[in-house]
Amino acid sequence: MEDYNKFSAVILGGGIAGITAALELARLGHDVALVEKTPFFGGRAAQLCCKATDACQKCGACLVEGRLTALFQEPRISLYAQTELLESSRTNGFFQLRLKQQPRVINPERCVDCGLCQDECPAAAQGAIITTGVTRNHPRYAVNPAACLFFLDGSCRVCQQICPPTARAIDLDQQEEIIDLEAGAVIVATGYRPADPACRPHYGYGRHPQVISGAELEERLRYGQGLAGSDEEIPRRVAFIQCVGSRDKEHAYCSQVCCAYTLRLARLLKHRQPEAEITTFYMDLQNIGRDAPRFQREALREIKVVRALPGDLRATADGSLRLRYLQEESAAAVEADFDLVVLSVGIGPGPDNAALASLLQAELTPAGFFQAASREQPSQTSRPGLFLAGTASGPRDIAGCITQALATARQASQYVKEL
Amino acid sequence: MSIARDLDIILAHGPELSASGIDYYKLGLWAAGLPKTRILALNPALPREELARRLRAFLYHGPKHRVLLAALEPQRRALNIIRLLLDEIGINPEFLGVLDLQEALGYLDPKTCSLKAETLIRMAAIMLTRAEPIATQELTVPSRVLVYGDSFAAIKSAVDLADQEYSVLLGFPGPTLHPLVPGVALTQALGEELRQLAAQAQAHPAIRLLPQARILAVEGSAGNFQVRLKTPEEVLEEQVGAMILAPELELRPGDAIGAPASHPRVLTQTRLEEILAAPEEAGDLLGTGDAPLQVAFLGPDSHPLALRRALETAKKFLSRDNCQVLLFIRDAKVGAPGLEADLEEAASSGLIVVKLPGLPALSLENDRPRLRFFDPVMHQEESLACDLLVLAEVYGPGAANAGLIGILNLWPSPPGFLQGDNVRNLPVITNRRGIYVAGPARAAMELDQALAEADAAVSEVHQLLGRGRATAPQGRAVIDRGRCVLCLTCQRLCPHGAVSWDNRAIINELACQGCGICASQCPNEAIQIRNFTDDQVAAAMENLDPRLTPKIIAFLCQNSAWEAYLAAVKMHQAVLPPGFTPLRMPCAGKIDIDYLLKAFTHGADAVLVLGCHPDNCRSQQGNAHALFRVERAQVMLEEAGVDPRRLVFRTLAANAPQDFLAAVRHLADLLEGLKAA
Ligand SMILES: Cc1cc2nc3c(=O)[nH]c(=O)nc-3n(C[C@H](O)[C@H](O)[C@H](O)COP(=O)(O)OP(=O)(O)OC[C@H]3O[C@@H](n4cnc5c(N)ncnc54)[C@H](O)[C@@H]3O)c2cc1C
Ligand code: SF4
Ligand code: SF4
Ligand code: SF4
Repeated sequence: MEDYNKFSAVILGGGIAGITAALELARLGHDVALVEKTPFFGGRAAQLCCKATDACQKCGACLVEGRLTALFQEPRISLYAQTELLESSRTNGFFQLRLKQQPRVINPERCVDCGLCQDECPAAAQGAIITTGVTRNHPRYAVNPAACLFFLDGSCRVCQQICPPTARAIDLDQQEEIIDLEAGAVIVATGYRPADPACRPHYGYGRHPQVISGAELEERLRYGQGLAGSDEEIPRRVAFIQCVGSRDKEHAYCSQVCCAYTLRLARLLKHRQPEAEITTFYMDLQNIGRDAPRFQREALREIKVVRALPGDLRATADGSLRLRYLQEESAAAVEADFDLVVLSVGIGPGPDNAALASLLQAELTPAGFFQAASREQPSQTSRPGLFLAGTASGPRDIAGCITQALATARQASQYVKEL
Repeated sequence: MSIARDLDIILAHGPELSASGIDYYKLGLWAAGLPKTRILALNPALPREELARRLRAFLYHGPKHRVLLAALEPQRRALNIIRLLLDEIGINPEFLGVLDLQEALGYLDPKTCSLKAETLIRMAAIMLTRAEPIATQELTVPSRVLVYGDSFAAIKSAVDLADQEYSVLLGFPGPTLHPLVPGVALTQALGEELRQLAAQAQAHPAIRLLPQARILAVEGSAGNFQVRLKTPEEVLEEQVGAMILAPELELRPGDAIGAPASHPRVLTQTRLEEILAAPEEAGDLLGTGDAPLQVAFLGPDSHPLALRRALETAKKFLSRDNCQVLLFIRDAKVGAPGLEADLEEAASSGLIVVKLPGLPALSLENDRPRLRFFDPVMHQEESLACDLLVLAEVYGPGAANAGLIGILNLWPSPPGFLQGDNVRNLPVITNRRGIYVAGPARAAMELDQALAEADAAVSEVHQLLGRGRATAPQGRAVIDRGRCVLCLTCQRLCPHGAVSWDNRAIINELACQGCGICASQCPNEAIQIRNFTDDQVAAAMENLDPRLTPKIIAFLCQNSAWEAYLAAVKMHQAVLPPGFTPLRMPCAGKIDIDYLLKAFTHGADAVLVLGCHPDNCRSQQGNAHALFRVERAQVMLEEAGVDPRRLVFRTLAANAPQDFLAAVRHLADLLEGLKAA
């Protein structure tokens, strides 16, 4: 096993959970590898918006920034971006992992993040060159071999030619690499996938441009594109519909974050546009924040809440969206019109969970998340040495991910020391 | 002289600077022409050995010299150079200035790019040549820790610390350790692991148990707390290096029904659990088996834990024949692992869930409790006689918490808990270093999370105390004893409880977090925060380049605004006004009113003060201090005939570069407008 790079722990997934675990292990004196599938670190939390109104609303999204800065400066952490797990085996208690790193076409030493490559790429719309708004990453552009025309059929070299002659950062002839790592512990922190907003077809996601998902709203607000997604008129009547992709037959769990982000986003909208009328349709409001009763009282002063999930959505002649629902007080069906409908998508299992679980011989819950050893031991699996952090094992908010990742790191550290 | 001392500048250039329109050769020549500087142009992509060789040859003065590393994206691209300088050549981190030239690259006109790059380098040089090293000191501190509370989080903290060779005082209010498993019947036997944990705490030689202990007073700060504890036998004076607080949750009556009706068939959840555990004493309360039994649970909707507990008991009735069980709630708080499935399962085995906007009214009729409510499904008034009415309880904070907040000088928090809900405290930090909170000290939560927090708190203690040898900065925040008149403004304002006094004020550098709130408020200018000195700020403001306009001086809190600024200059198409000069502050609270006024006397067209959002300041009130000073300065500016709108205060988050740009744009527009008028 001479040619294995040896680490105390390998962490899969560079979101807030993986980053926190990596930093904590480094602080405890371990060398760790952080493996991220995409070209960029930060995960989903790094793409959420600040929801502060007159004061911080305690959403926790800004907690990622400082940790990302620390991550890129920590000498004990080796970063592997654009890298995925291929094989895993175990001898004498140590994991041997074989990873595949995509060709690193853009040379970080030379790239100036000018973005010309993406501007000129003929297949940019298909995702051949991707970029990130999480600006602590560098380079902030990456070539995606799955969509790049050069990698598909060799027919294009535009980016390499357009890259400024003084930079010449692009080399399409880079090859993918196979990387072998050995580690005492493996931590799965591969996160989640937001629930599919189209899973409730009657809300017309994909058919009406004014029906968007909560994740999209977060992004629009983060990048300052405005609510309408363009410079069009600002929507005045906004509806949020809760529990999309949660608490139904296929998703028999509460996602725990969507009530919170919805009410925070709603208050943010109201703060920015006091004339907006915001309605939230819900089944049950979950506790939000540490002083939940107060938060709820304050939110309900600004936002109308309706305990009902609308039965259907139709476009009206004047272009608004009409929702029909059962009014709780009168038990009568009523209708209301909106300019924008936001579907509060929940937290679904990560797309790679099944494949990863079989590679690592881990078990999944019926819903498709990684199965923890027990409710008292959410960081452990039934396999000693294989640990969990963050939403890979089920819904959690950012604060919950951080706490759990800290505990996971300590337990993994203890485990590795005893190996 | 603006550049106060000798300085070595490394221009880590690669090809990228020219790619973005800066002629690094010219920039290098310009920098070489600065007084007292030497310059090395170095391609960061060279092999490590070669980098090391060239750096050593260049830095023949050894680690005493100040070094400015200027590059594009230095923290990523020139990381090798940074590590060589710090780890192998041994430059003091305070002597290494790392400058990102990104801000200079956005302008269309190459001349402005160059001017801006020069200004950035000059500003960094001015700051750096006035920098002083911050040494670290090793302090001998007691490796004794006070853990207070009898929750499992407290017990686990105590055992983990004791295992790591700390000596632990475990104080708790009751006569015996009596931890609670939240969300579970009080009568339920503990699992094996928890039983073992409790047994370990009782028997561990390094743990001293202090039953019926009350904290009377706490003096001192991190690394050196003197705690006065009262036990039934004596009053103890103990010295501890740190403490972990984890007082157990307390069950209180919920708000379901105004005054709990005293009637044998109206029970609290706890009472019901006791009865179910000893049914032989229950008489006919639990029914005789054949006769139908109507059980209603009222209001377990304060927290998922309350719902979990009610469902556990409800299940016992659902498994009996002839038993109808109803659950009255406003909201089903299912936001916890597995709870939605549990509720669904209970519903499918017969539980009737009645969700109401408010809870039903209770009366007593014919010796039966009766509930009246409006049924939203059947759409009619309902009235229901119950054989058993179960009143939910709320998991609330320990009753002793309220007193502890004052004794420990902690920030006010969500009702009754010991940690403010500022996200910067997550998970276990308080405003005072050395005082950590875990589990039930900060919120009602599931046991697994509380135990995870115990882990995190133990890590923090270990990081702070290092088994008796703590490392602290030396000379970061210093009080000039010659100037201090013992007015104790600093002591009153320090949000971290780091100031004490003998015949002058003293800062405990292990507890100090370097925010500088004391420094900017000290009436005698007796406190300086090293490398954020008044001197440095003044020198920077005296040396603005008159060719770059409009001149906007921005004071940026490093915890939010500085991060947002760094992110903003990397965003596509973000271009700042050429005369924008960012000054990094340790906290908005460090911004002295003098800075604001001086900025204008040095010719600033506008001044921007950016701090964290209210409730998001790491030092809790730094942003409020800043706002207060800005408002005072605005009044003074107006008196002096300067339009007060030229001084702007805004708050933002680290992840909101858009808000940063909006603030700058606002000022730029304002200046345009004022110029036109
Ligand atoms: C619309 C929306 C709004 C939200 N708002 C809030 C909020 O305001 N406050 C809050 O606290 N929480 C919020 N959340 C929840 C928050 O996003 C999550 O708690 C958090 O991001 C989870 O972090 P994570 O590290 O577990 O997962 P992720 O952020 O998903 O990170 C996982 C990382 O692993 C990588 N990865 C995936 N598969 C692999 C693989 N096979 N190999 C290697 N790497 C892999 C991914 O690329 C990703 O970078 C919100 C969620 C949604 C959907
Ligand atoms: S609202 Fe969220 S992102 Fe904004 S400051 Fe508060 S915690 Fe940070
Ligand atoms: S958090 Fe709210 S919206 Fe999300 S699944 Fe739970 S109840 Fe539904
Ligand atoms: S710098 Fe801040 S933490 Fe330190 S003594 Fe002054 S006020 Fe307290």
